[in-house]
Amino acid sequence: MTLIQLLEGPLWKGSAAIFVVFGIWRLAVILFTGRTRAKAKPAGSPFVGSVRTILGHFLPGAAIRGHGKTWFVTLAGYSFHIGLFALLLFAAPHVTFIRDKILGVGWAPLPRWGFIVAAEFAFAGLLALWVRRFVDPVVRLISRPDDHIAAGLTFVVMLTGCMALGQQSVFLRGLHLGLVEIWLVYFPFSSLMHTFTWPLSRGLTGAMAGRRGTRM
Amino acid sequence: MAKSLWCILTRFLPRLLVMVLLFTGAQGLLVAPGAAQGIATGVTMETGPENTLGNRSDAEIWHDLRLGADGIVTPPSGPDAGTVINANGTWWSNMRRADGPLVRYGGYGLAGVVGILLLFFLIRGRIGYGEDSGKQILRFRLSQRVVHWTVAAIFILMASTGLILLFGRAYVVPFAGKTVYSVLATASMQAHNLFGPVFAVFLLAMLFLFIRGNIPKPHDIWWILKGGGFFGGHASAGKYNFGEKLWFWTAILAGITLTVTGFLMLFPDTFAPEVVKTLQAQGLSQIPPTRDTIHYSELAHAIAALIFIGYALGHIYLGTIGTKGSLKGMVDGKVDENWARAHHDLWLDLQQKKQQETEK
Ligand code: HEM
Repeated sequence: MTLIQLLEGPLWKGSAAIFVVFGIWRLAVILFTGRTRAKAKPAGSPFVGSVRTILGHFLPGAAIRGHGKTWFVTLAGYSFHIGLFALLLFAAPHVTFIRDKILGVGWAPLPRWGFIVAAEFAFAGLLALWVRRFVDPVVRLISRPDDHIAAGLTFVVMLTGCMALGQQSVFLRGLHLGLVEIWLVYFPFSSLMHTFTWPLSRGLTGAMAGRRGTRM
Repeated sequence: MAKSLWCILTRFLPRLLVMVLLFTGAQGLLVAPGAAQGIATGVTMETGPENTLGNRSDAEIWHDLRLGADGIVTPPSGPDAGTVINANGTWWSNMRRADGPLVRYGGYGLAGVVGILLLFFLIRGRIGYGEDSGKQILRFRLSQRVVHWTVAAIFILMASTGLILLFGRAYVVPFAGKTVYSVLATASMQAHNLFGPVFAVFLLAMLFLFIRGNIPKPHDIWWILKGGGFFGGHASAGKYNFGEKLWFWTAILAGITLTVTGFLMLFPDTFAPEVVKTLQAQGLSQIPPTRDTIHYSELAHAIAALIFIGYALGHIYLGTIGTKGSLKGMVDGKVDENWARAHHDLWLDLQQKKQQETEK
């Protein structure tokens, strides 16, 4: 078996399995371990509070009103996440891979220029946010090694993906795929899980605030 | 009707036939060894059609192709419509060859900069500023630091991939072989093309965030006359010394050159001819709107990049091992007052005066 066959076969299946199994396990732990019930009489609706926070925090209100430093994080955050989302799900080579290896169905990909622009937004946002972790003394203090590993792994996955864009080299495709597999294995045990946990954490803080009759 | 049928028979069909022959790998038939004598290989003189290729020799056919002679198949559209081989490109291929002047003198230039920096370090060592005063002063805001290091990170990526593309055939192929270089080259090219526009955007942000303090002032003359204090003595400077100002403007001007020429090369069939036509209409350019634009763009791109990288090596040296305490300013934003006194005394005086005024 050649290295690329190994990467496309058993290693791909193994890493995808770790990603799915441990990802679900972590979500289940969060959802089912239970919490101590609040005993105070509710002053408002936890449900309304949680929905308001989950959706309301998408709005870049504070950034637009010019509060503090949030405009930068908001702009770079949106740039990175929307770019990555478009790139991950709508780049032609990804659509083909998802169709052939995962779902059996594909969808219309972005034109080449479209996903290159998406990748540029994603890179710009990721780099600026990662750099900030080193040069903002407060953010540096609260950044754990996991944050840097997560950002660094995501960066090299994206970088090798963009290097393989010529679709001329099996080595480059293998390098990209191999790093994706490492990323998938790391994912469930790291801060990368915020991809799935953000509605839960936003929902819980929103619900607590709603119960107290305040807003987040 | 009859006219257009005639046109199809006499003009279009022969062109199509030659095009099919050229692009299906059947060039062997057209330019096979026997072709020069008008004898198609594989077809015996007794049975085959007579004189398939006409009475034209190889040399004549290639001559016609080079000049885009009428009746010869050429690229149907784009800036080089009518030309299969652009003979004007010869100067450029000589210039750009692995053993050509661009690679040779570019290599000497960069090696020279590294040599000078090494020598300077051996003679002068790390430039210090005495003891810490224990008092810190804000030098760079958060936005400036984020933009600086994002530019620096992308610069390293752009410079390393660009250098691989420029010097690869001369210095990578002999050691690692063509296969390894082909992988390196495609990876570099893709990354270089993708990150180029991102670099341009961040460099623009740098222009706005750093222009204040980088405008040359009369007191810079004293700094120059004192050799910047690099060889001893004290040279007064404002927020940025003249060397830093020159670095700032080199980065901006080289950045603009790299961006414009980079976009011309990224869009050789659309953007480039339009730009050249517009320049010609204004009487600003003599270059024809053909692939020649790309040759000149590549040359300007390479020269701007070599100057940029050369200066960057000096900047990186002085920002890290060359000067004690500078890196801290760009990472934490704050510097020790004694560092400021040693390197940017006029700026420190101004800051302290401002502070006293706000305290009053
Ligand atoms: C890894 C590479 C780099 C390092 C280690 C570095 C380091 C530094 C340091 C320590 C300073 C502060 C100097 C001072 O306080 O006066 C500085 C300033 C500056 N750097 Fe860099 N730098 C790097 C790359 C770059 C690049 C690639 C650019 C531009 C394209 C750049 C542009 C600037 C500018 C504009 C300043 C402000 C001073 C001035 O206007 O000249 N740097 N850098």
